[in-house]
Amino acid sequence: MPETPGAPLLAIEARALSHLYGRRHGLAAVDFAIAAPGLIAVTGPNGSGKSTLMRILAGLLRPTGGAVTVTRRGAPWPPEARRLGAGFASPDVTLYDEMSVTENLLFAARARGLGAPPQAVEAALAEMRLTPRAGDRIGVLSSGWRQRARLAFALLGDPDMLLLDEPGSHLDDDGRGVVESVATARARERLVVIATNDEREWSLGERRIDLAGGVGRPH
Amino acid sequence: MASAGSTSRAVWAVLTKECRSEWRTRYGLNAALLFAVTTLVTVSFAVGQLPDRTDLLSALLWVVLLFASLASLAHTFVREIDGHTMTFLRLVASPTAIALGKLLFNLLFLLLLEIVIVPLYLLLMGGPAPQWGRFLGLLALGSVALAAATTLVGALIAQTRGRGALFAGVSIPVLLPIFAAAVSGTRAQWEGAAVGGELRLLAAYAAAMLAAGLLLYDHLWED
Repeated sequence: MPETPGAPLLAIEARALSHLYGRRHGLAAVDFAIAAPGLIAVTGPNGSGKSTLMRILAGLLRPTGGAVTVTRRGAPWPPEARRLGAGFASPDVTLYDEMSVTENLLFAARARGLGAPPQAVEAALAEMRLTPRAGDRIGVLSSGWRQRARLAFALLGDPDMLLLDEPGSHLDDDGRGVVESVATARARERLVVIATNDEREWSLGERRIDLAGGVGRPH
Repeated sequence: MASAGSTSRAVWAVLTKECRSEWRTRYGLNAALLFAVTTLVTVSFAVGQLPDRTDLLSALLWVVLLFASLASLAHTFVREIDGHTMTFLRLVASPTAIALGKLLFNLLFLLLLEIVIVPLYLLLMGGPAPQWGRFLGLLALGSVALAAATTLVGALIAQTRGRGALFAGVSIPVLLPIFAAAVSGTRAQWEGAAVGGELRLLAAYAAAMLAAGLLLYDHLWED
């Protein structure tokens, strides 16, 4: 599909978007329209569907109700392409314990076909201040360092859309500071969506999609 | 749609990741070699050499190869689910690239097993000298069919409940034609008979499993 000159780098429109896990509500109907550049916060209590929404946006989950349209430079960006092109960090993403941080990221960069994988990995490691632990196997890292490795994976290749689900979990103050600076810097040109209940994180957002009460309301 | 170049890069990345993981964890290799060596040595002690029983010899070879490899082949995808690494994998490669990478790894695994098992088996069981061209052809096509079938079944059942039991139940009817052809062909080559029919059957079965996989893989693992 050809790209449209002048179209936003990235735009997402959700109409009555919802998801059921069997008969249980994963995400109650939500409507919103967002576009790059910008930083959007998705908030809501436990079970309101933040992670479900993030998985749908990442192309990992097909919604059972409503529709979501994602376009990149005016051309549709289908779920299978988003899965391999968006940056996504979530507690669900587990890297291989038996491989080092660098090996995991190099595997991801090569499988995704990124140009110059070693340089892409080096940049992501440096951005997350993970370089000193780059050679350590994931299995021996603390939960905080593992979270940094997840976030470094999401940053690989400087994606147009960065989806961060609970990015500050397990991180110390330094780690949270890194997340804040990375997210705000990326949001100047790209689209960053953060799902969180941490006020320090959602206050970074220029807009908030609140899933509280079962129905998402753009603020 | 992914280009052929990007798919082949992803397949190669998955294959090298599988090799590295197996080398680090020895998840399947040690168990497979232990089973194969123990079985061959035990049978050899119990019945001695069987140079005239090509019927038993051919069945024993494929039974040892099947059970030695099955623990690893059956768990190629289950390991990703149990280790919670499936989401990461899905985020870096298409389902087809993942399945083809794992299929190639399964083939390599079988090749490695055969390099150890076949000479040991010939030595311990004292079978007649094989007709090498036919024998290796049967081994190669039997391995491709076995790897393609187990990869397909493993991919299909990976996200089901009770996948361990399901793998056995689904695999039995899928694997039987491979073993019937492989055992029959192995026996026939020792008896100097033609094996063209068995080779064609194995090749056709492997091609059918590969084709079914290529059609199905991209529709798997959608939550």
